[in-house]
Amino acid sequence: MKKRLLFLVPVFLLLFPMFLLAGGKQEAGGGEVVLYTAFEEDETADYLQLVKKELPDLNVKWVRYSTGEVAAKLLAEKENPQADLVWGTAVTALARLKDLFEPYKPAGYDKLPAQFKDPKGYWTAVDMYVAAFAVNKDRIAKKGIDMPKSWTDLTKPEYKNEVIMPNPASSGTGYLQVSSILLWKGIKEGKEDGWEFLKKLHKNIVEYTNSGSAPAKIASKGEVAVGCSFGYRVAKQIAAGYPVAMVFPAEGSGYELEANSLIKGAKHKAAAKKFLDWAISKSAMEAYSKYKIMVTMPGIKSKSEIPLPDPKDVKLFPMDFDYTSKHKTEIVEKWRSLFQDKTKPE
Amino acid sequence: MSTVTVEEISTKERKIIDDKFVIYLAGGLIGLFLIIFMLLPVLNILRLSITQYDEVAHEFIGKLTLNNFANYFSKPAIVQSLYHSLWIAVWSMLITTVLAFFFAYGLTRTTIKWKKALYYIAMTPLIAPSLLQAMALISLFGSNGLITAGLFNVEWNIYGPLGIIISEVLYCFPHAMVILYTTLSAVDSRLDEAAASLGASGVTTFFKVTIPTARYGIFSAAALVFNLAITDFGNPIIIGRGYRVLSTEIYLQVIGMQRFDLGTTIAVVLLVPSVIAFLLNYYFTKKSHSMISGQAKPQLPPSRPLKKWSFTIYTWMIAVILLSVVVVIVVKSFVRVWMYNWTLTFSHYQFKIPGGVGVLWTSLWISVVVGFLGATLTIVNGYVIEKKKPFFAQPLYLFSVIPAAIPGLVMGLGYILIFNTKFLNFDNIFYGRAAIVIINVVVCNFTLGTLSSITNMKNIDKSMDEAATSLGADTTRTFLQVIFPLSRVSFMSNLIYYFMRSMVTISAVIFLVSPNVHLAAISVINLEKDGQEGPSAAMATLIILVVVVVLGIISLLFRKKGFKLAAENQV
Repeated sequence: MKKRLLFLVPVFLLLFPMFLLAGGKQEAGGGEVVLYTAFEEDETADYLQLVKKELPDLNVKWVRYSTGEVAAKLLAEKENPQADLVWGTAVTALARLKDLFEPYKPAGYDKLPAQFKDPKGYWTAVDMYVAAFAVNKDRIAKKGIDMPKSWTDLTKPEYKNEVIMPNPASSGTGYLQVSSILLWKGIKEGKEDGWEFLKKLHKNIVEYTNSGSAPAKIASKGEVAVGCSFGYRVAKQIAAGYPVAMVFPAEGSGYELEANSLIKGAKHKAAAKKFLDWAISKSAMEAYSKYKIMVTMPGIKSKSEIPLPDPKDVKLFPMDFDYTSKHKTEIVEKWRSLFQDKTKPE
Repeated sequence: MSTVTVEEISTKERKIIDDKFVIYLAGGLIGLFLIIFMLLPVLNILRLSITQYDEVAHEFIGKLTLNNFANYFSKPAIVQSLYHSLWIAVWSMLITTVLAFFFAYGLTRTTIKWKKALYYIAMTPLIAPSLLQAMALISLFGSNGLITAGLFNVEWNIYGPLGIIISEVLYCFPHAMVILYTTLSAVDSRLDEAAASLGASGVTTFFKVTIPTARYGIFSAAALVFNLAITDFGNPIIIGRGYRVLSTEIYLQVIGMQRFDLGTTIAVVLLVPSVIAFLLNYYFTKKSHSMISGQAKPQLPPSRPLKKWSFTIYTWMIAVILLSVVVVIVVKSFVRVWMYNWTLTFSHYQFKIPGGVGVLWTSLWISVVVGFLGATLTIVNGYVIEKKKPFFAQPLYLFSVIPAAIPGLVMGLGYILIFNTKFLNFDNIFYGRAAIVIINVVVCNFTLGTLSSITNMKNIDKSMDEAATSLGADTTRTFLQVIFPLSRVSFMSNLIYYFMRSMVTISAVIFLVSPNVHLAAISVINLEKDGQEGPSAAMATLIILVVVVVLGIISLLFRKKGFKLAAENQV
């Protein structure tokens, strides 16, 4: 009888214990925490080196998604959340998803200025990032076009098929660019001018990318002249040796906060809170400051190894996060109906 | 008087019942496995595609409706992706089949040299993720490509439909080539000789004899390429640039927009052509096999010089193109900044991604498990279906061949939609873990594994089974001591096939990676999409290296044991 059952050994052996094995593995690490982040992969890898040093018993598992992808993932998993917290993701995306989060005020919450945190603790911001163009100097010289100075310049005919921009549905950078243009053209007063402007811009766009850093990288490689991206990424491309110039749009750069939230139903809540406490600590902020134009903790200056302009020298567009997060669905839907669902302009 | 005692009879009967029980259990478990991990996710997608969706809350609400399809067909850009997909698939099918046919013809019907080397070079696309072709094409023919911008300094570039079609041709080439190679070497080439000796010219013979005798093989290769091209995800998302096809549309709707309603609906739309292509491929393969003659292959007469040289040039031209795809990527992985700074560097090999270089080990161990699990299940499955024929052999066979008709991307979407629900999350040890990836890859490639193991079982004479039984061995023992040893080569071929698929697949697992499981092939596509071409090329190079090393080790081990692997069976 024993021998007869041997026949089933491969089936049993491989099928069923595999589930246990796969499951058992994760139980082992006591201080495990799972997070989704929209920080860039290279900066995240650096921050996590520090986490390893300062929170040695925490085993951090992470995935980097673009902002919209974080939101999609959270919504898809809301019946059975897989991640414990969100780290470094656009506030305009998080503020809309409040019912997926649990309010938590991390240690040090009080030290942050009021405009950088949700009063109930649904989100706590750590840094700010600013829209900027990456302009490939080689390419504009070759094509004989001028260095663009503003969004308005980018709508000129000579930039046809020379501009690349992130998709506001999936990218936080894309949304802050689109929403700043709409605010500038008076969407709050019910004006349609912003959409007309975007239509003009659309004629010159080659492609809408998933993430906000991709346009800078694609422009760096000389595939297009102008990549609409954000400050740090452009600076980084310059430092990497690409023939790129950083341009802040003359109309004012849109900006956005990146924040953290605790996910409702987190499976490792204690570890997640520990991480969130660390994430707004002084040493974390010092670490972010190497990559950011500005961090939210007062008194810490940007320490980027790559020269970044002082935030005071950049003309920031006065954003209205209340408005832009409340109307995000509406704006993105309209943007999609105009640009995404339509074929590419020829 | 009979010497058989009552007790002996009852033992014998008990044994028969036990044997049946073992077969029922093994077949039943495999059937159950396929029902849970293949049928349920696909049926669930069909169900969700006709379920009302709340666009604001992003969730399905119970009511049945046809709105999703109405919605789909009312959005011109999305409907366009269907035409795009068909256009791409048809052109890829035509070009690949023709190119692969003449390549296979050169290898089987002419006396060109270095046939073995050519055969192996033709297989190279199988050892890399299906976006390598697009990556290489962009490096050479993109807006800032080595050839377009570097050599000729022209504005023209390869993005869009042309780029997708060329990538698909390069990617599908080995799949078509293998089928045509088998067909052309199996069809009795003495028919050609007979035609020639009756006075037919070379061209007449070719069109009146060679092509008609190989027609089912040609049709089956064409249908397979159509299916591969219409379901591929990696190449179109990298090189399509705004030219959207069904597979990329599913991904963008689900991941970028959180629109699971459109995702499932487009998945159903994609199912239609891929199922039809699969059925045609299946039908023609059967037909083609019935034409294979059992005759020994006659010696090829030396080809005329013109024929020999033109086929030498032709086959090597294709071989060089296929090889250069790999070479470009390997070179790129060591170049600091492609086109701007040609100094060599290892810096791209320091991966700043989740999991770091560890993703390679994850992919490796998952692929080894997939290899053993897949090969074991399919060989048992083949044995049950072909040799034991229990009453449920027909449905089991049907379930086993369905996976080839389901695009990997659709299966993956099916998995995330069903295995993270309250009822089917298996207590959270499945979704988001390695197990879901392993099972998905095993299921997605179940068809080829089962079919090749059925063919293998057919080649094992029935008398083997009977002899074992009459010598008193029961089913288990027969399988372990007679059938399995006779199937070692088939087992290894299936194992290698599963291993390679698991190392390079993108579409099946792109929805399944999670903070716990990062895979190498997915890291390649994420890095590439993010514009980090250097690290992406580096990761692709490492995948190729791992696959080549593992294949090398296996073939060395086997040569030692005294028998060669049938390379033709690997695909």
